[in-house]
Amino acid sequence: MTSLLTPTDKVGFNQVGFEQFLERRIDPIWITELRKQAWATFQSMDWPDARSENWMRSDLRGFKLDKYLPIDETEPQKVVGAPVRLIEGVDLGGSIRMDNGLATSEALDQKYAAKGVIFGSLSRCARDHADLVKKHLQKQIESGVDRFAALQTAMWTDGQFLYVPKNVVVDKPLHIECAMGDGSTDLSHTLIVLEEGAEATVLLESNSPNETSGGCHIGGVEMELGARSNLRFVGLQDWGNAAWHFAHKRARIGQDANIQWTIAAMGSRFAQVDQQVHLVGPGASSHVNGVLFTRGRQHITYNTIQRHAAPHCNSDFLYKAVLQDRSRTVWRGMIKVDVGADKTDGYQRNDNLLLSDQARADSIPGLEILADDVRCTHGSTSGRVDDELIFYAQSRGFTRAEAIRMIVTGFFQQIFDRITIESVREALGVAIARQVRQYD
Amino acid sequence: MVSNTKDFQFACKLSSLQPNQPQTFEIEDRFVIVVLLNEQVFCIEDLCTHDGGTFGDSQLEGACIVCPRHGAKFDVRTGVATCMPATEATLSHVVKVEGDDVLVQLRDN
Amino acid sequence: MSTDIAANDSIGEINKYDFRTESKAVFKARKGVDAEIVNQISEMKNEPEWMRDYRLKALEIFNSKPMPSWGGSIDIDFQDIYYYLKPTDKQGRTWDEVPQEIKDTFDKLGIPEAEKKFLSGVKAQFESEVVYGSLKQDLSDQGVIFTDTDSAVREHPDLLREYFGTIIPATDNKFAALNSAVWSGGSFIYVPKGVKIEFPLQAYFRINAENMGQFERTLIIVDEGASVHYVEGCTAPMYSSESLHSAVVEIICKRGSRCRYTTIQNWANNIYNLVTKRAVAYADATMEWVDGNLGSKLTMKYPAVYMMEPGARGEILSIAFATKGQHQDAGAKLVHCAPNTTGQIISKSISKNGGRSSYRGLVKVEKGAKKSKSNVVCDALILDSKSRSDTYPYIEILDQDVSVGHEASVSRIGEEQMFYLMSRGLSEAEASTMIVNGFIEPLVKELPMEYAVEMNRLIQLQMEGSVG
Repeated sequence: MTSLLTPTDKVGFNQVGFEQFLERRIDPIWITELRKQAWATFQSMDWPDARSENWMRSDLRGFKLDKYLPIDETEPQKVVGAPVRLIEGVDLGGSIRMDNGLATSEALDQKYAAKGVIFGSLSRCARDHADLVKKHLQKQIESGVDRFAALQTAMWTDGQFLYVPKNVVVDKPLHIECAMGDGSTDLSHTLIVLEEGAEATVLLESNSPNETSGGCHIGGVEMELGARSNLRFVGLQDWGNAAWHFAHKRARIGQDANIQWTIAAMGSRFAQVDQQVHLVGPGASSHVNGVLFTRGRQHITYNTIQRHAAPHCNSDFLYKAVLQDRSRTVWRGMIKVDVGADKTDGYQRNDNLLLSDQARADSIPGLEILADDVRCTHGSTSGRVDDELIFYAQSRGFTRAEAIRMIVTGFFQQIFDRITIESVREALGVAIARQVRQYD
Repeated sequence: MVSNTKDFQFACKLSSLQPNQPQTFEIEDRFVIVVLLNEQVFCIEDLCTHDGGTFGDSQLEGACIVCPRHGAKFDVRTGVATCMPATEATLSHVVKVEGDDVLVQLRDN
Repeated sequence: MSTDIAANDSIGEINKYDFRTESKAVFKARKGVDAEIVNQISEMKNEPEWMRDYRLKALEIFNSKPMPSWGGSIDIDFQDIYYYLKPTDKQGRTWDEVPQEIKDTFDKLGIPEAEKKFLSGVKAQFESEVVYGSLKQDLSDQGVIFTDTDSAVREHPDLLREYFGTIIPATDNKFAALNSAVWSGGSFIYVPKGVKIEFPLQAYFRINAENMGQFERTLIIVDEGASVHYVEGCTAPMYSSESLHSAVVEIICKRGSRCRYTTIQNWANNIYNLVTKRAVAYADATMEWVDGNLGSKLTMKYPAVYMMEPGARGEILSIAFATKGQHQDAGAKLVHCAPNTTGQIISKSISKNGGRSSYRGLVKVEKGAKKSKSNVVCDALILDSKSRSDTYPYIEILDQDVSVGHEASVSRIGEEQMFYLMSRGLSEAEASTMIVNGFIEPLVKELPMEYAVEMNRLIQLQMEGSVG
């Protein structure tokens, strides 16, 4: 594939752009070094090979990196018009606002700060809490995993850092809003560290000003859960439907720790997300809920891995997708069980509901099991809405669109039931209902 | 419902086409194959229905483009699949030539 | 690579325009595959020009294709293999050289003396005429053609040429290309309209050492309303002097017909078994693959059914048993190309003693294949901590009006089941065997009687080896 780097006399995601970016930064030296190494990696790599397993169903040719410019953080960033969905009626314990990948406001309830909780801009925390950030940043995502990870590691602009000390419980949800302007970029990074016995709830949403907005998001998320800790993490992605979205997301779960991770992907023109949960301590558990709801010409790919590296762990991934128009979803789910990971309980399921003849759903659940004392199952179903249900609803006075809206909500109900945060359930329900196409 | 007819859009210059040499062009954010065959211009979607991949550097055999990965063949005039392992037609688009401009009306089904 | 055979003086006088006469060439058996060898193979068989050209074109395709980047690990030096040997050149071995455990297996399975020597590679020929002779007349009276593919090229050229390579073109994958270049042997079957053959046709009926093994090419055409059941292989371990086996099987089931193809493979542990098998089923036709993989070092095989017209049905029943040093990478493919088609895949796999069993499959529903239904169930038993089990299913749905389901599970033998059986007086080995037999029962009950008996005995043997 030909290089998508611009000629060097013009600023972009190129050598000139990178050097200017470095000059503007106020990073500790160790971060600058990481960035330089990652930039060298970025330059030495090609875009992912269309023949490789994870990319063979994703056509990257329409993606042109040279259409985007790195954000100049010396200029104030403000994205007007992006909605905020997850905070309705919620009593928050803290919030961070991001505009085009830069933190423009941050707040944390004093009672948590007093206990040593840190929640704020990643750039600032890398300076103010260097030891903590250095210990955990970029430890789970190798910059060489693909060109997007390399670029992210080299040129992340800002992000969020959440640190919860041992046995501290942050009982109120913490909110992060990421807004990306039309045609702009967001290269932010999320780093969450929970020490032993800590607990927190994080709501992260990504929005654009309009449904038709474009832009380019290249993100990374790393979550480290110490023994017996508990994290509920919700990510709602609703970028405009001309946006390109690439993200690597990792969570490492320690002994007897638990993560409840909810993902809702409804926006973007093209999304390629690599989501991995590594259960590294005995008794670790993860519950992942995925909602994919696509329309138009959207193409959303989720490559997920549940990795059991320790015994007595339990993982449960449920992804449900509803497809409209000419949209396409690709879902890959792999449960890997390492040698010695006895008493593993792994479960995975992907259900697809197709609302149009032009839609396409690819479902690729997988298992690689190297221990014998395990129980791993997966399932996948695909089908359409039952005509009788629509007819029944219409005979009760509902329009076809209303009927489909109810059926789609019913389809996702199993996911809603697994989300233990009321505001999220409601917000998702509203967002989904709004997205149901007006069918004749 | 998604509309079936769109305007004609510019694909490429007629003078850039070599006889019997399929080439890939981008229209909006879709990719198509354009080929000059027996002095007529044809256009099909750059998509092999067998494995969903692109035609890339493929050759023409008669009136059929041959997918380099597994040998599936499609008639460039109609998009119809003529050889296993493909069984489904790929989209065939309408072509209009005005002067040196090759214009394509993209179809959706 | 030179394709001009007339230029190769070293192999003696060959008149390339004279393929129908007795060949006067001296065939020099040597390792490696190139145009010279391919030409010699075609020459030895007195093939028409179109087949020779087909082979040569396939050779070019083979050379141009990369190795697959997925599946098992294939460590083959393609130039270090014999691609064609006359029976007299084949390396046999003496009875003394046959490993004791193979001899023991034969005894326990009750294999007749004559077969023992044949299976173990001691004897080059297997006299099957006696068994087959009487059935032959009956079949030909009904218009059934059942012969080896080499003979079919000469005796039924039009019929063969109409279908040969149309289901699996040489370009399909590297090993189909190889087979297309150097194929030899295999079965050619044509069943006329309405003819239903009651007893299974067995590969043994027409086998002899020359055309058994390495690169078989099988073509089965079942005409409208006809039905046939074809069986190949056997549960007893099979020896082969050559370590690469790459067969191609193409099957056409016309309207209303029915075909079942049963394979039980138990190749010795040094063999790479890389097979492409595909059937097309037309309106209201049913194709069934029953696929048992017990042997070989690595098997890669995914029998496929393309349902081309409404009412077509595909069913695939696959079992894989991988023990020490083995990797069974097997599965199934169902492609729905028309409305109202149905498919089912049942896969059972067992890994023990460090073996690796992988299910790899595809269910694809093309746009327009409305009201299609497909269901896949994959169950895997992993019997100890040294073994490995994988599942790689691919599901591609391009139409909304379908119903597709897939489930898979991997586990070991349930403790409660073991406890129950042992509390009834069975030893641990006996209990495990019983459970494993129950596990594969859906496949075993589809086998012809004598295979089923042998299969049960074989499982018992395999299980005895694993405990204690």
